[in-house]
Amino acid sequence: MTLPAVDKHKQPEHEHRIPTRAFTSKSAAGLVVGLALVALFAVVRVLAPSTPENFGLPNAARDFATLSISVVVESLPFVFLGIVLSIAVQVWLPEGMLLRRLPRSPVLRRLVLSLLGMLLPVCECGNVPLARGLVVKGLTVAESMTFLFAAPILNPVTIVTTAQAFGWNNGILVSRVLGGFFIANLVGWIYSRHPRPGELLTTRFQETCNLADHDGGAGRVQRSVQMFSQETRAMMPALFIGAGMAGLIQVAVSREVLVALGSNPVWSVLALMLLAFVVAICSNVDAFFILSFGATFMPGGIVAFLVFGPMIDVKMLALMRTTFTAKTLLQLSLLVALCAAVLGLAVNYGH
Amino acid sequence: MVIRRLVSRWQGVVLSLIGLTATIWLGLSGQLALYIHPRYFVFTVIMAVIAGVLALAAFALVPGTSDAPDDGHTHDGDAHTDADGPSDGHGSRWGWVWPAGSVLTIIAAVVALLILPPSTLTTATVAQRDLNGSASALTLKAPALPGKGDYSAFTVRDWASLLRSGAGQDFFADKTATVTGFISADKTDPNVFFVTRFVVTCCAVDAQPIGVPVYHPGWQNDFKTDSWVTVTSSFRANPNAASPEAIVLIPDSIKSTSQPAQPYVY
Repeated sequence: MTLPAVDKHKQPEHEHRIPTRAFTSKSAAGLVVGLALVALFAVVRVLAPSTPENFGLPNAARDFATLSISVVVESLPFVFLGIVLSIAVQVWLPEGMLLRRLPRSPVLRRLVLSLLGMLLPVCECGNVPLARGLVVKGLTVAESMTFLFAAPILNPVTIVTTAQAFGWNNGILVSRVLGGFFIANLVGWIYSRHPRPGELLTTRFQETCNLADHDGGAGRVQRSVQMFSQETRAMMPALFIGAGMAGLIQVAVSREVLVALGSNPVWSVLALMLLAFVVAICSNVDAFFILSFGATFMPGGIVAFLVFGPMIDVKMLALMRTTFTAKTLLQLSLLVALCAAVLGLAVNYGH
Repeated sequence: MVIRRLVSRWQGVVLSLIGLTATIWLGLSGQLALYIHPRYFVFTVIMAVIAGVLALAAFALVPGTSDAPDDGHTHDGDAHTDADGPSDGHGSRWGWVWPAGSVLTIIAAVVALLILPPSTLTTATVAQRDLNGSASALTLKAPALPGKGDYSAFTVRDWASLLRSGAGQDFFADKTATVTGFISADKTDPNVFFVTRFVVTCCAVDAQPIGVPVYHPGWQNDFKTDSWVTVTSSFRANPNAASPEAIVLIPDSIKSTSQPAQPYVY
C-alpha cells in the first residue's frame, strides 16, 4: 500500500519538472514547423498556374473539382465554428452548466435538446463536433441524436430562409418544422431504449470520451488546443471525403431523370429524397435550392427533401461516421428515410 | 510506425491548414466568389483566421505534452492509458489501409485546393442542370420594369426572366439588350447559342444555369463553347419557327471578353 503512495508523491514532481523546462523550446520548434507548413502551402498556391486551360482537364473533371471545392470552402467555416463551440462547451463552460439545467425526465430532456438549435444556429456540419462535445460532457447517445437531427431544422436561420422561400404555401414550412421535431424525438426515444448505448459509438470516439476524463491536469488553453487537434483529426478527413463524393455524384447522376419523376405523388417524394442525399446542401439555404424545383415537384416531395436532407446526406454520413458505427448509421438512415417518406406522402395525399 | 503515428496525429491539423490557406488566398485574390455567395465572405475569412491561430497553437502546444508521462500520472494503475494514441488500436493486418487513405486524402486536398487553378463551373454543368429550368432563379428577382427608359443595367438574369415571363414580341420590339455571359450551345438548334450565367444562392453546388438565346448561324466557327462574350442587340422573332425559343437576340457582331471577376449572378 505504501509503494503507490510514494509513487504518487514522486510522480507529479517529476512530471512537473520535465515539461516546464522542455516546454518553451519544444513549443517554439512546433510553432516553426507549423509556420513553415503554412509558408509552404502559400508558396505552392501562389506559384501554381492560374489559368484552367494549362491543365487541359475535360469540363466534367473541372466541374467535379469546382463542386467539391465549393462544398469544402462553404462548410469549412461552419465546421470550425462547431469545433470552437464544442471546445467552449467542454472546456470553458463551468462543469455541468448546460446539462444540469436540463429537465430530469428523459422525454422532456430530449424535447428541450431538440430546441437547443434555436440558441446555436450552426449549420448541420457544425453540429457534429458540437454533439460530440456534448456526449463527452455526459449527454446520452440517444439525446445527442435528437440534438443532431433537430438542430439543423429547428434553427432560426433555417426557419427564416424556408419562410422566405415558401411562405405558408402548401404547409411546407409547418410540415418541415413539426416533422423534423417529431422525427428527431422519435429517433431519440427509440435509441434511448437501446440496452448498451456505448456500442452505437465507434471505438475511436469511445476512447476520446475516456481520454476526456484523463486530462484534467492540463491548463484550459492547452486542453482547448488539444481538443482542436483531436476534433480536426476526426472531422477534416470526413469533410474532404464527403465533399469529394458529393461533387462526384453531382457530375455523374443525371438530373433529367430526377425531374422526370417529379409529378408522381410517390416518386416525387423518393426522387427528392435521393436528390437531398446526393447534393448535400446546408440546411440554412436548401429551401432556396429546392425552390427551383418547386414547379416540377409536388409539395410532399419538397417537404421530404427539406426534412431528410438536413439529417442524412453523403456529407453528413461521412461526418457522423466519425462518431457512430456503420451499423447504427444504416439503421438511422433507414429510420429517418422512412419517416420522411411517410411525411411527404401524407402531405401529397392529404392535399 | 513513426509515419503512421505522425499521420494520424497531424492529419486533421494539416488538412485544416490546407483548407484555410486556400480559403484565405482565395479571399485575398478576390476569387472566393467562384465558390460561395458573397454574403459568406466575411464569416468565412474570419473563421479561417481563427482556425489558423488554433492550428498553429496546436503545433506549438500539443507536442509539448509527450503523452506517456502525462497519462501515466493521473491514473497510474491503469493498464490502458492510451500511451500509443487511439489510432494504433486497429488490427495489424489492415493497419496500413487507414494511414494510406489519410495520405491520399492529404494529397487530394493539396492538388484540389493548392495546385488546381480556381475555376468556374462550365457547360458540363449547364448540360447537367436544365438551362432556364429553374423557376426560382428566374422569378425570385423578377425585374422592376423601368417604365420607358433604361434597360442598360439589365443582366442576363433579368432578360431571361422577362423572356420566360411570356412577355410578347411587341414588348421586346424596341428594346436593346447588352448581356455578358459564356456560350453554351442550344441542344435543339445549331444556329442558336445561349449567353449563359449561373445563379448562385449559397455556393457553387446549387448553381442554376440561365441564359438568353442568340441566333447567329455559324457561331461555332468564331467562338468556342465556354468562352465569354458580350452581345449587344435588339430582340427579334426566331427565324426558326419550330424552335422553343420564340424571341432571340440577332446581333450583327459579338465581342469576345474575359471572364468577369464575379462570374455568377445572385
